[in-house]
Amino acid sequence: MSDFARQQSDFQLAILTGDEKILAEILDSPKEKRHVLFGVYKYAYSSRLVEALRNDHKLLHSYVGDEMFDEMGKAYVVANPSQHPNLRWFSQGFPDFLKAEPYAEYPILSDLAALEKALNDAFDAKDAAVMQLADMAGFAPELWDGLKFEAHPSSCRLDVSTNVAAVWLALKNEEMPPDAALLEQPGRLLIWRQDATPMFRELSIEEAMMWDEASGGIPFGVLCSMLATYDDPDGAAARGAGYLHGWITAGLLTGVAAES
Amino acid sequence: MNASTRFPTTQTEPSVRDGAIPADKPAYLGFGLGLRAQHYDEILSGNPPIDWFEVISENYMLPGGQPLRVLDRIRERYPVVMHGVSLSIASTAPPNFEYLAGLKDLARRVEPKWISDHLCWTGVHGKNLHDLLPIPYTNEALDHVVSRVQLVQDYLGRAIALENVSTYLQFHDSEMTEWEFLSELSRRSGCWLLFDVNNVYVSAFNHGYDPHAFLEGIPADRVVQFHLAGHSHMGTHIIDTHDHPVCNEVWDLYAAAIRRFGKVSTMIERDDNIPSLDELIVEVNQTREIAAGLLPSMPRAG
Repeated sequence: MSDFARQQSDFQLAILTGDEKILAEILDSPKEKRHVLFGVYKYAYSSRLVEALRNDHKLLHSYVGDEMFDEMGKAYVVANPSQHPNLRWFSQGFPDFLKAEPYAEYPILSDLAALEKALNDAFDAKDAAVMQLADMAGFAPELWDGLKFEAHPSSCRLDVSTNVAAVWLALKNEEMPPDAALLEQPGRLLIWRQDATPMFRELSIEEAMMWDEASGGIPFGVLCSMLATYDDPDGAAARGAGYLHGWITAGLLTGVAAES
Repeated sequence: MNASTRFPTTQTEPSVRDGAIPADKPAYLGFGLGLRAQHYDEILSGNPPIDWFEVISENYMLPGGQPLRVLDRIRERYPVVMHGVSLSIASTAPPNFEYLAGLKDLARRVEPKWISDHLCWTGVHGKNLHDLLPIPYTNEALDHVVSRVQLVQDYLGRAIALENVSTYLQFHDSEMTEWEFLSELSRRSGCWLLFDVNNVYVSAFNHGYDPHAFLEGIPADRVVQFHLAGHSHMGTHIIDTHDHPVCNEVWDLYAAAIRRFGKVSTMIERDDNIPSLDELIVEVNQTREIAAGLLPSMPRAG
C-alpha cells in the first residue's frame, strides 16, 4: 500500500471509529489544535448523514421528534456506513434497520420509514409510458382472457402491520396522529407515481392478490379465476374489470399485450 | 489549439496526450446560479435574468421522475454546467466505473457546457463519507491524481474542471502548496480549474497564508469558472457551510480574481439555508456589477 493510500485509510478509520493515529500526520494550524480541526470532519460526517435521513424521512422525524430521530439516525450511520457515491441511496436500509432491536417493539417506526421510502422511490423511479383506457379498446372480447399487463416502474406493494396509513396522513396534514396500533390483518398498500406525484392507497385483500399476480405477468382470464375463489364467482370478471379500470385511470399500468 | 501549445512547459512529460481529449477552453457563460429544487417553479414560470445554471450532478443521477423532467426544461432555456460531489478524483480506491457511467449518461442527456468536481476524495474500502476530504500536496498524490484525471477524461471524452475545496487541516508530508499542486495537475492532465473564491478565503484563513498568494499562483488561462459562497466563522477557523450570503472579504477577493483571471464564468453557490430566488439574484447581479466595474467591455445588469 502506498503512503497516500495508507494515509487515506487511516483518515477514514479516524472518522468512522475514532482511532486517531492519523493526527500524528496532521499539523496544528496557526490558531487551532489539530484535534479540533480534525473534529470538523468527524462532526460533519455524522451530521450530514443524519440530515440526509431527516430529509428522506420527514414524517418519521416529526413523529418521533429531534432527539429520538437523531439517536436512531446516529445508530444507523454507525451500523450502515454509506457504500454508494450518491447520498440519495443512503437511507434505503433504514426501514429494515428499524425492524431490529431496540426498535422492533415499535413496528410503527419501520412501517412509517418503509412507507416514506416507497414514496421517495416512486418519486424518482424510472419513467415509462402510461397506459390509457383507449388502449383496451383495440382488443376483441375473446382476447381479454389472454391479456397481460405491465406495471409502471414506480409502482410498489408494501405490507404493513400497523395503522401507518392513518398515522402518515395525520402527520402529512400536520395533525395529531392516532395512537399507533397493530392491525388484525396486515395492511396492503400500493405506492406509485401519478404524473409527478407519489401516491399510495390501501388495497382490499382481493385487489392486492390481483395486483400482485397481474404485475407478475398472470393473464386476465387466470386472474378472474383466482378472483372467483375470493368472493362471488359470478361477479369475478366484473370485479376484475373494475380493478383494472381503477389501475389504468390511476396511471398504474404501462402497457397491455395479448398473450401469444 | 491544444493544451500544450497554449500552455508551454519546460518539463519533460507531455501536457495532454496527443488528440486524446478536446482541449478547447469552454466558452464564457456570464453570471449564473446553482440550481436548487426550491426555485424550480419560479425559474420555469418567470425566466429570471440569470445567464446560466450549475446543477449538482448527483441530484439528477436518478432513474427518472420529476427532477430530470425539470432539468430537461431548464436546459432548453439556459446553458447548464454539471458539478459533482462524488467523483472522488483523489481517492486511492479503484475507480468507480458505475458512477462514471451514470455521470456520462447524464452528460449525454444534459449536454453540459462542462463537467466539474472537486480536488478531494470521499472514501476508500468501498465506503463513502460524503465529504470533500483533504489530501497531502505530495508528488506521490500528484502523480496519482494526474493519472486518475486522465482516466476520467478518457472515459468521459472531455476535459473536466476541478475545484479547490475548503480545507481545515494540513498534512506534515506536503511538499508543495495547494496552488502549486493545482497548477501542476492542470498542466499535466489538461483539466480546467474551477476557482472557488470563498474556498480560497476559508483555506487561507485556516492555514494562515495570504489568499492573494493562492490567487497569484494559479495559471490564469486554466480557470474556467468562479464559485462565490458564504461560510461560518468559528473564531479560530472557518467552516465552509455555503449557508450565508457572500461576505465583504470574499467580494474583495473576487475583485482581485477578476483582475488576475479576466472574464470568467461566475456563479453564486448556496447549498443550505436557501433564500428566495430574488435574494440570490441580488447576489448574482452583484457579481455582474463588480465585473462590469473592473472589465470595461462587460455590460452591466439590466
